[in-house]
Amino acid sequence: MKTKTLINMAVNLGRIRLKNPVMTASGTFGYGEEYADYVDLNRIGAIVVKGLSLKPRFGNPPPRIMETAGGMLNAIGLQNIGVDAFIDEKLHFLQKFDVKVIANIYGETYAEYIKVAKKLSMAKGVHALEINVSCPNVKKGGISFGSDPKTAAQVTHKVKDATGLPVIVKLTPNVTDIAAIAQAVEKAGADAISLINTLAGMSVDLKKRMPHLKNIAGGLSGPAIKPVALRMVWQVVKRVSVPVIGIGGIMTAEDALEFLILGAKAVQIGTANFINPHATIDILEGIKNYLQSNKIKDINQIIGTFQP
Amino acid sequence: MTKDIFIGEISNNEEIQGNCFLMKVILPASFCDPQPGQFVMIRISGLYEPLLARPISIYSFSRGKDSCAIELLYSVVGKGTQILAGLISGSQVEIHGPLGRCFEIDEARKNIVFVAGGMGIAPLSLLTEHLCGDKCFSQSPMTFYLGAKTAKAVVGLDKLQKLCYNINVCTDDGTLGKKGLVTQAFQKDIKKYSPVNTAVYACGPKEMLKSLAKILRGSNFISQVSLEERMACGIGACLGCAVAVRDNKGALTYKRVCADGPVFNLREVIWQ
Ligand SMILES: Cc1cc2nc3c(=O)[nH]c(=O)nc-3n(C[C@H](O)[C@H](O)[C@H](O)COP(=O)(O)OP(=O)(O)OC[C@H]3O[C@@H](n4cnc5c(N)ncnc54)[C@H](O)[C@@H]3O)c2cc1C
Ligand SMILES: Cc1cc2nc3c(=O)[nH]c(=O)nc-3n(C[C@H](O)[C@H](O)[C@H](O)COP(=O)(O)O)c2cc1C
Ligand code: FES
Repeated sequence: MKTKTLINMAVNLGRIRLKNPVMTASGTFGYGEEYADYVDLNRIGAIVVKGLSLKPRFGNPPPRIMETAGGMLNAIGLQNIGVDAFIDEKLHFLQKFDVKVIANIYGETYAEYIKVAKKLSMAKGVHALEINVSCPNVKKGGISFGSDPKTAAQVTHKVKDATGLPVIVKLTPNVTDIAAIAQAVEKAGADAISLINTLAGMSVDLKKRMPHLKNIAGGLSGPAIKPVALRMVWQVVKRVSVPVIGIGGIMTAEDALEFLILGAKAVQIGTANFINPHATIDILEGIKNYLQSNKIKDINQIIGTFQP
Repeated sequence: MTKDIFIGEISNNEEIQGNCFLMKVILPASFCDPQPGQFVMIRISGLYEPLLARPISIYSFSRGKDSCAIELLYSVVGKGTQILAGLISGSQVEIHGPLGRCFEIDEARKNIVFVAGGMGIAPLSLLTEHLCGDKCFSQSPMTFYLGAKTAKAVVGLDKLQKLCYNINVCTDDGTLGKKGLVTQAFQKDIKKYSPVNTAVYACGPKEMLKSLAKILRGSNFISQVSLEERMACGIGACLGCAVAVRDNKGALTYKRVCADGPVFNLREVIWQ
C-alpha cells in the first residue's frame, strides 16, 4: 500500500495561523451553517462570513442576480442580519468548530466601521476582521472608500485603532491603481490584504430592453474574472510585504495554485460554492494531491515561487 | 444527510409537447424522498457555461430497490433549458436536492383546490399524487384549475386525469377547455367553496399568482403558492433569490425563495 507522506498545509497570515490556505469568500458561504450539511467545517482554513453592518440591512429588490458568460452578476445590496444578531445568533454555531472565523465588515461612515469593529472585538470566537472597502462612502457622495488611497488608509487606520484583532483589508478591483491602494492600507496598519472583490458590471434584457438587475449594475464574479484577479494579485504582491489573499474565480485546485505560485499566501473560494457546495474541500484535496505528486512537503514551498 | 449533490443518469428526455420536455433521471438510493413543492438544482458537470445550476420542481418520484428516479417537466425558455433539452438518454447530470420547503398540508381543510398556470402544474401534480395517497384525504373533493396560453402548452393532463376527476382547463386563446384566464375560472366558482375548510394551492407565472392574491384578498381562504426567482446556490447562502414579504408586523422584508420557500403563504407575499 502506498502511504501518503505528511504535507504541511499550514500558512501564516501575519498573526493568524491557518491550518490550510483554503478560506471561504464573504457573501458566498452564508454564516457557515448553510454549508455544514455538505462540508466538515473543521477542515476549512478559515470561514469569512457575510458582510456585517451596524444595523440589519434588507438589501436590494429582486432580481438580484444574473448569469453571464462564465460568471454571474450580483446586486444583493449587502443584505445581512446586522452585527448584534450575528454575535447573538450565529457565532455560537461557528464556535462549535475548530475553524478560524473572520468577520467581514462594512459601513457607510467611518463611525459605522468603528462601531462594528468594536462590537466584534468584544465577542468571543472572532479571530480576525476583514474590511470590505467597496462600500460607498455616504459623506463623500457615494464614492467607495476603497477607490482612493487616502480614504482606504483612513478606514484601515480607524478600524486598527478600534480593535486588537488582526485586520485584513479587502480591496475592490474597480480602481485605476490597485497597488497604490494596497500600499496605502499596508502603511495604515493592515495585517493582510485580500483581493479582489467583484468587478462592476451590467447586462441587458433584450425582451424588456432594460438591465436584468433591478439595481441596474452589479458585481461580476466567477471563472470569468480569474485572469483579472491574478494580475491584480501579482501587482500587489510585488509592492507590499504583508500577506496577500487571492480571490476571484477560483473553481478548482489548479486555479488556487495559480494564485499561490504568484505569491498569495491563501485563497478565498466564492462563487464556486454555489455550483459545488463541496468546493472548498475538493480544492484543498486537489492542492494536496498536486503537492504530493510534485514531491513538495510544505505548501509554503510553492507560495511565491514565480520570480521573473 | 438530507440533501446533497448526486450524479444522475438521464433515462429519458423527450419533447412531450411544443417546447416542453419531460426528463427522467435515475439517482442513487441515498437521494431522499422529496416532498411536494421541493425542487432540485440541475447542472451538467464540468461546464462553466452555463455556470449556475437551474432550479426545477420535482414532478414525480419513484423509489426502486437500489435506486430512485425523479421526473422533471420543463419548458425551454433560454440557454440553460435549451442545453438540458439536448441531452440524450445515458447522459449524466448533477442533481442537487431535494431543496426548499414543501407545501404544508392542513388536515382540517379537506376541500382542495389547485390553480396551476403553465409549468406550474409540475409541483402541484406531485402534491395531488401525495394527497390521493393520503388516507386522510382519500374522500376529499379536489378541483384542479389548469391554465395555459394555448392547447399546445397544456402538459401533464393525462397523468392528472388519473388522479383528479374535476379538472377545469382554460387557455388564453380557447383552443382547449374554456377560453380565458385560469384565475377567472376559479373566481367564477369561488362561491362553491367554503373558505374555512378549503386549501388553495397554486403555482404559475407571477401575473397569475398576483391575480389570485387579488381574488382572495380579505377572504378566509388559506392559500399556499410556489414562487420562482433566479437562483445561484439554492441553499440559502447567496441571498440572490429574494422575494419581498410582510413580516409579522406588516413591514417589508426579503425572504429567500430557495430556503424559506419556494412555498409561501399567499398572504405574506408583497407584489411589486
Ligand atoms: C423553485 C423553482 C422551481 C421551478 N420549477 C420549474 C419547472 O418545474 N419547470 C420549468 O420549466 N421551470 C421551472 N422553474 C423555472 C426555471 O428555473 C427557469 O425557467 C430556468 O432557470 C431558465 O433557465 P434558462 O437558462 O433556460 O433561461 P435564462 O436564459 O436564464 O432565462 C430565460 C428566461 O427565463 C427567466 N428565468 C430564468 N431563471 C428563472 C427562474 N429561476 N425563475 C423564473 N424565471 C426564470 C428569465 O427571466 C428569462 O426571461 C422553476 C424555478 C424555480 C425557482
Ligand atoms: C452573491 C455574492 C455576495 C457577496 N457578498 C460580499 C460581501 O458581503 N462582502 C464582501 O466583501 N464581498 C462579497 N462578495 C464578493 C466575494 O467575496 C468575492 O470577492 C468575489 O465574488 C470574487 O470571488 P469569486 O469569483 O470566487 O466569487 C460577494 C460575492 C457574491 C457572488
Ligand atoms: S439561491 Fe442562493 S439564497 Fe436562494
